[in-house]
Amino acid sequence: MARMKFLCDAERCIECNACVTACKNEHQVPWGINRRRVVTLNDGRPGERSISMACMHCTDAPCAAVCPVACFYTTADHVVLHDKDLCIGCGYCFYACPFGAPQYPRVGNFGGRGKMDKCTYCAGGPQQDNSHAEYLQYGSNRLAEGKLPLCAEMCSTKALLAGDGEIIATIYRERVQQRGYGSGAWGWRTAYKEVPQV
Amino acid sequence: MNGRKDGGVAERRGFLRALGLGTAAAAAAVAPAAAQRSDSVPAGQARKESAAERVAARYRETDHVRAFYRTNRY
Ligand code: SF4
Ligand code: SF4
Repeated sequence: MARMKFLCDAERCIECNACVTACKNEHQVPWGINRRRVVTLNDGRPGERSISMACMHCTDAPCAAVCPVACFYTTADHVVLHDKDLCIGCGYCFYACPFGAPQYPRVGNFGGRGKMDKCTYCAGGPQQDNSHAEYLQYGSNRLAEGKLPLCAEMCSTKALLAGDGEIIATIYRERVQQRGYGSGAWGWRTAYKEVPQV
Repeated sequence: MNGRKDGGVAERRGFLRALGLGTAAAAAAVAPAAAQRSDSVPAGQARKESAAERVAARYRETDHVRAFYRTNRY
């Protein structure tokens, strides 16, 4: 069974933020939330690198371990999803997540934060595939349409890879061998407890 | 996947839905922000999947997906 993963090739990311924009538009992500973000390290200095990051759909997901209402579930192709009808907006998953993926639509000193929102790997949620209800709550379900996450599909430099973990690791390995360098599959050790062998 | 036995969570909270207070009330609460995406949908519009449907694999290696892999090799 294919195991879905994300891999950002930091040697290729040019910080164009197309992935961020595509995601926001595709899923009509609530105001103030970005399911994907581009982070730049050593900005303006030699060795500057940018990485596109979102929920990595972790093996043994820390968010699921802490959620008091157990609203997370992992699909057979290892996409970590959650049920907004159960979420109480407690914020625990935000603190547990090593990537800062969970976000909330509202802020307030006393009011609720609203239901947690995060990357769904373009796989919707616990509503029927591609129903209006699913779209409203979680966004579109490209995986059920036989496609991959839009961020990766429209990456201009093909820095962001998505799909079967084995295949994208092979693609990354080929790139590193061809150009003779690579800065590693960022976040893989934390999320998947392994790194692609180069 | 967490190892807890949590099948009962949905059922326990189901009583709210029976009272008509569940998702419908939540939707009413966010009504002022109706132009934005909603956290929850009115109970009548909910189309929840069964436990088995939720975790079923969605990924397929279609021509579309194979084209993605191919172009990423360039
Ligand atoms: S990246 Fe964060 S939200 Fe996503 S599965 Fe891992 S712990 Fe959960
Ligand atoms: S914010 Fe929601 S999803 Fe996150 S831990 Fe709390 S109840 Fe669970």
